[in-house]
Amino acid sequence: MRDAYLVGAGQSDYGTFPSESYRSLFRTAFDAATDSVQNGLEAEDIDEAVIGNLGVGGRQLGLSGPAVTEHVGLDGVPTTRVENACAASGFAVRQAVQAVKSGMADVVLAGGFEIMSDMSSDATKYWLGVSGETEWERLSGTTFSGVYAQMASVHMEQYGTTREQLSRVAVKNHANGAKNPHAQLGFECSLEDAQSAPVVADPLNLYHCCPTSDGAACALIVSEDVVDDYTDDPIRVAGVGAGSDNVGLFQRDTYTGVPASQRAGEKAYEMAGVEPDDLDFAEVHDCFAIAELLAYEDLGFCETGEAGQLIESGETELGGELPVNTSGGLKSKGHPIGATGAGQVVEAYKQLTENAGERQVENPTRGLTHNVGGSGGAAVVHVFEKEQEVSA
Amino acid sequence: MTAITGVGAYAPRFRISSEAFEEAWGQFHAAGVTQKAVPSADEDALTMGYEAATRALEAAETDPGEIDWLGFASSRPPAAEEDPTARLGAMLALSESATGQVFTGSTRAGTRALWAGLDALEAESTTALVVAADAPKGDPDDGMDHAAGAGSAAFVVEREGPAEITDRAEYSAPYPGTRFRNTGEDETRGLGVTQYDRQAFSETIGGAVSGLEVDPDPEAAAIQAPDGKLPYRAAGAAGVSTDDIQAAATVHELGDLGAASVPVSLATALADGYESVLGVSHGSGAGADAFVVSTEGDVPAETALEGADTLSYAEYLRQRGVVTTGPPSGGGAYVSVPSWKRSLPQRYRLEAGRCSKCGALSFPPEGACDDCGALAEYEPLELTGEGTIEAVTTISQGGAPPEFAEQQAKAGDYAAAIVALETDSGDQTVSAPAMGADADPDAFAVGDRIETTIRRIYTQEGVTRYGFKIRPASD
Repeated sequence: MRDAYLVGAGQSDYGTFPSESYRSLFRTAFDAATDSVQNGLEAEDIDEAVIGNLGVGGRQLGLSGPAVTEHVGLDGVPTTRVENACAASGFAVRQAVQAVKSGMADVVLAGGFEIMSDMSSDATKYWLGVSGETEWERLSGTTFSGVYAQMASVHMEQYGTTREQLSRVAVKNHANGAKNPHAQLGFECSLEDAQSAPVVADPLNLYHCCPTSDGAACALIVSEDVVDDYTDDPIRVAGVGAGSDNVGLFQRDTYTGVPASQRAGEKAYEMAGVEPDDLDFAEVHDCFAIAELLAYEDLGFCETGEAGQLIESGETELGGELPVNTSGGLKSKGHPIGATGAGQVVEAYKQLTENAGERQVENPTRGLTHNVGGSGGAAVVHVFEKEQEVSA
Repeated sequence: MTAITGVGAYAPRFRISSEAFEEAWGQFHAAGVTQKAVPSADEDALTMGYEAATRALEAAETDPGEIDWLGFASSRPPAAEEDPTARLGAMLALSESATGQVFTGSTRAGTRALWAGLDALEAESTTALVVAADAPKGDPDDGMDHAAGAGSAAFVVEREGPAEITDRAEYSAPYPGTRFRNTGEDETRGLGVTQYDRQAFSETIGGAVSGLEVDPDPEAAAIQAPDGKLPYRAAGAAGVSTDDIQAAATVHELGDLGAASVPVSLATALADGYESVLGVSHGSGAGADAFVVSTEGDVPAETALEGADTLSYAEYLRQRGVVTTGPPSGGGAYVSVPSWKRSLPQRYRLEAGRCSKCGALSFPPEGACDDCGALAEYEPLELTGEGTIEAVTTISQGGAPPEFAEQQAKAGDYAAAIVALETDSGDQTVSAPAMGADADPDAFAVGDRIETTIRRIYTQEGVTRYGFKIRPASD
């Protein structure tokens, strides 16, 4: 199979934008992505588009994929919308890689978008739980904050994970997000702030939860046959892995891990021929603080039960052994559901092209992105690698 | 003959004192009521009826499948039109062919249900279940609301048993305006013509008691109690002493129980071992039912009428929904009524399925087996309703799905857990998510023992969905 390469990626700011539409945000991301391509890339080069989206403003849109691609002049290009909840555009990237590897396309746009801020907070809430198990889990009174809080309750009980360790995730990600001009909550927070915020679903407080966001992100995936047209410093999609699981937490084998993430991670590492130790940075799905800690364990950054110690050690901070969520993560950068997975790829691209500004990881070769749908009904992991450094 | 063979009674856990009302209003309009029971935001006449009925069936050691006649009485059934007995029957696992009858429109409905049950037993029926549950409601500044309590009682009635109903009589006379609620209104009211009201009460009660074949000489008298004074005023008309009334009185601690007033008083009198009880109900309109119960030996009874969770007046207004707005508007994550209906065996009776291939349990029993993944048939199996908390959180204001926003506005934070529910033999469990009820959220922790009950889950498009919730185990 042919290799696939990441030759460009860009995003809009994440936040709340009453004067923007889902199409204008998507255009911003599309322009940023094409502009980021070293040797330039034109709209007419694009063979295929895969777009992640859950629902604009909670309203169901049919053909929301073509609705944004036509807006950027891609009418005529085969476009598919992918819906895997919060992992929608992570899976869009994966589908782009598949299209390239299969030989059916040479240049594929993988993107995502979401508008979450143009409704009343009541109406937003109706929508937020829609990617959980509806009939039983939601009707026991939980949205995702509640389900992740349940996971946290068991992790704390079994492994002695503490509230302070959860708060350290917020402190770290806000410190990173403060260095990211695209971040929605681009400010630092103290450990005290992150421990004294109002409780949402015990043990999770407001600082343990990501915001709702508007935003869009795009990545450009091309085949080995054309990669040289676009860049002299190719970044290979070295590993792709994905998994699924029961949508409801209560039907899973474990409450202290996300099996879909474990499956996705194992596959991606195997395909890339690397181990967690080989990574220079990672963007993981920290919709809630406990989710980042679970990701540490599910992706093999530490042993099961030791995520609390890992965050406390500082090794996942900028400058640590394995910086995690240098972008600020979902917590600080924001979480426009359908855009989140592609947005993680944007950060990987910026890091690997050394365009990450103040939050640049020193001379990185390899980075991972990890995108989860719902509370773990779907997960997708990518490993990106600077090719020349590997072969050199 | 007809006889009561099992007694159940229930009152919600919340209490509010007369002092709390005095503090809020400067005065308290319900004479003789010291405190009263207040239903939780997720309770109504149907769930309270379920609480009493399960206890009565358990006390009588009656298999629900044996019940061939069910009567449900309340002045405030959950809906003005729609038969609640089909739901109650399904919650209790009664036979689909059992007769179901609803009695409402009056505080006399509880004894009307008993009457109909006795008539049914004198005809073809063999095992009747009479359930009365009520939570009256009035305008906040009205004595009707100050007195309004909450509670329920249920009786298994058969042709023979330890508590025989030896005599009964009824009486009616037109007295409009003493207590009424017009179609479409939510608050019960009365004109408050004091002497006229008392006359309506005493005349009907006296008339019903005079209709009995033998002048009663009971040890305890269960007299309709709209407040804590009126039943004693009718002592003369009923031919009993105030001590007899005091012996069976529940109004002082639970408030006006409406259609469940006489049934709950009768239940406590039987549970306390009184050997002869006179029951006299009164309903506006007006009418009264009088009956005599004579016992021989213990009458199996299971009552849960204690409550220790005290509300302030502001909390009372919240719990009752007086100061909360309705549910938020919006849509999404919608569960249709037909799909809810399909899940009733699970929601009411915890019906899990045993995988015919690997023997593991699945809940709900649909789709591929959670354990072996086989798309095999499930053998239905009812879980016990006992289990252990595996994971739990407390959902704070703002953290609830909007379906629960109104409940949370009324009742505050709640626990949401995943519980491992057990089979009868106790050797297998299956996990299910459930909301906490009947206790503060901090009473639920990983590893704690729980039991299930049935409560209101939420109301959407005007249709209330009921299903199981969990509470700390009673043992």
